[in-house]
Amino acid sequence: MSTPEHNVEQRAQPDAEELVWRRVHPITPLVRGWAVVGAAIVILGQQSLDGGPRGGLIALVSSEYWWTLLAALAAVALVGWGYSTLAWRMTTFAIGEETVHLRRGILFRQQRHARLDRLQSVDIRQPLVARFFGLCELTLETAGGTDSGVAIGFLKGSDADELRAELLARAAGLKVGRANPAAARPLAPSDAVTAPAGRVPAGERDGAAQDGVVPDGEQGAGTAQPAPMTSLEAPQVPVLTVPIGRLIASVVRSGAMITLVAWAVAVLVAVIVTGQFAVLTATLPAVLGAGGYLFGRLTGEFDFRVAISPDGVRLRHGMLETRSQTIPPGRVQAVRLVQSVLWRDRDWWRVQVNVAGYGGASEEKNSVLLPVGTREEALTVLSLVLPDLGVDEPRRVLDAGLDGDSRTESTYVNAPRRTRILDPVAWRRNGFTVTGRALLLRRGRLVKILDVVPHERTQSLGLSQGPWQRRLGVASFQVHSTEGPVRPEVPHLDAADAARLMGEQAMRARTARAAAGPERWMERQGE
Amino acid sequence: MTSPFEPHDVTWNRVSPRLVTARLVPGTITLGIPLIAGVVLAITVGPWFWILAGVPAVFLVWSIFLVPRQVRAIGYAERDDDLLIRKGVMFRSMVVVPYGRMQYVDVEAGPLDRKLGLAKVQLHTASVGTDAQIPGLPPDEAARLRDRLASRGEARLAGL
Repeated sequence: MSTPEHNVEQRAQPDAEELVWRRVHPITPLVRGWAVVGAAIVILGQQSLDGGPRGGLIALVSSEYWWTLLAALAAVALVGWGYSTLAWRMTTFAIGEETVHLRRGILFRQQRHARLDRLQSVDIRQPLVARFFGLCELTLETAGGTDSGVAIGFLKGSDADELRAELLARAAGLKVGRANPAAARPLAPSDAVTAPAGRVPAGERDGAAQDGVVPDGEQGAGTAQPAPMTSLEAPQVPVLTVPIGRLIASVVRSGAMITLVAWAVAVLVAVIVTGQFAVLTATLPAVLGAGGYLFGRLTGEFDFRVAISPDGVRLRHGMLETRSQTIPPGRVQAVRLVQSVLWRDRDWWRVQVNVAGYGGASEEKNSVLLPVGTREEALTVLSLVLPDLGVDEPRRVLDAGLDGDSRTESTYVNAPRRTRILDPVAWRRNGFTVTGRALLLRRGRLVKILDVVPHERTQSLGLSQGPWQRRLGVASFQVHSTEGPVRPEVPHLDAADAARLMGEQAMRARTARAAAGPERWMERQGE
Repeated sequence: MTSPFEPHDVTWNRVSPRLVTARLVPGTITLGIPLIAGVVLAITVGPWFWILAGVPAVFLVWSIFLVPRQVRAIGYAERDDDLLIRKGVMFRSMVVVPYGRMQYVDVEAGPLDRKLGLAKVQLHTASVGTDAQIPGLPPDEAARLRDRLASRGEARLAGL
């Protein structure tokens, strides 16, 4: 049992609020139970590969007791589905005024309340099996670390979209009309969707939101279904798609592929030289692992689409399992633009972000904003999450960060020449610059990296210095961001520069936080 | 040359020198057992076991030399809006934690720490990278710091 912490509180029923508890879709147990059967088949497959003293599974299948195998599988399936059905009966969720509630668990009951103003992202996931039934799982991430999210699944596709729109609208600070039947009170005008005027550039949103008010006559049906609120959905504008050809080419040219090919060549040479095929079988797991990673990257980032809406950036991607992510404004903690060595002649870049709640390595696939794109595309995507860098010529600053070094004319403060003994390859690249809104850190020459951290998202700052660095009078500087792929740092800065940056950045972070927008992004101009 | 670890407007607080004992006792026990075993075997069995005794002895001398310096290097300072913590003799590091970014504060004390009258205060932000711990504080000071950090964090409360 996971224990909810930080922002996800466990409390008794909040008073003065009537919650409508809803169940997830009744086909859910079938979809979830399938995983158990799949696991059983995999285990059986492994057993048959290993073989046993009496020939293992293959002997069993060819013998007259073959039906026991089917019976065992059926029993596993029944147990799996039975358990899932029980779990489904015990899982209910409700959307409150400011919180999302989820109850689940058979023996250990768990009730989770997530505050909507702490919402970090809303994702809709559709695994392969669920797709046959048109079902989706909705995950609401709060900032409580790994496994702090609220996963509501499975829901009918259209229901999931409606729920997402409602959650985002509430999290944005819009007042959504309580359109559910159990709220038997009449819908007063003040209860309807009211938005502060002129809060977003997207003009349609107000009109669209007003249409979301459900007429009184449509309420009162006995079902636990929410009344339609599709028009709450913020309008989205497509920004770009990643062509499949380029995705494949980018994976072929990626660092992991280079390693894999080098490894394969080495193994081949070893086999030819020694004449022993045992080398091949010994290295097979490593090769399969690397191949699996590349395959996962290809399928996970397949058909990648980026769109923008008033509720933030929308990402949609995946081949076997499709995933549709919404990251509201101000939830991006840090951005990294990275270029591996073989991408240079095409000028391709990959954009990764830290979003609190996406957590560490296990959820790294969520933290990709753009799997591969030209420089223009990468900078466009960056401008979606950080619209204003606070400089007059952002393009010049960014270009210098992407592939400039100490020889190019720029505002970057560089590592001094004496550090070439510590970092002979990339010492010219190590540097940072400060704009009105963000800190930009660049480093790396073979794999080029530019990290962008908005001042108000700085968690804490670190400075470190080893004995060699002390002798040369330099120090490394780190910005601590939330867990994720972006770990902003710049090594070997001049000690005086590092000390000044540390002092000034602490102050800048403080003033930027004071001026930062509210957690409910639609209230920005309304207050 | 100015050191980046000495900001000009900061007066550092030291931690309790009893932390030297708290750190040396477990180290001495783990190194002392193989040392004694080595010495006994060297006397009873043969001179080759002096090597077995020598390795932990070297580490023990090294730690007796190093730990007091490490403890003296630990410093913390409360500024108006952030807390500074520094440590390290050879590999030095410093961290600045703004009060407004603090998510929670831990106060810990093991059995030996309690005997010696020590406690450890650890600050947590939303980042796992923040390594902000102050070991070796007297319990009163730890409690005072905890309350003060909590109240300051509340006053400057922000989201993420």
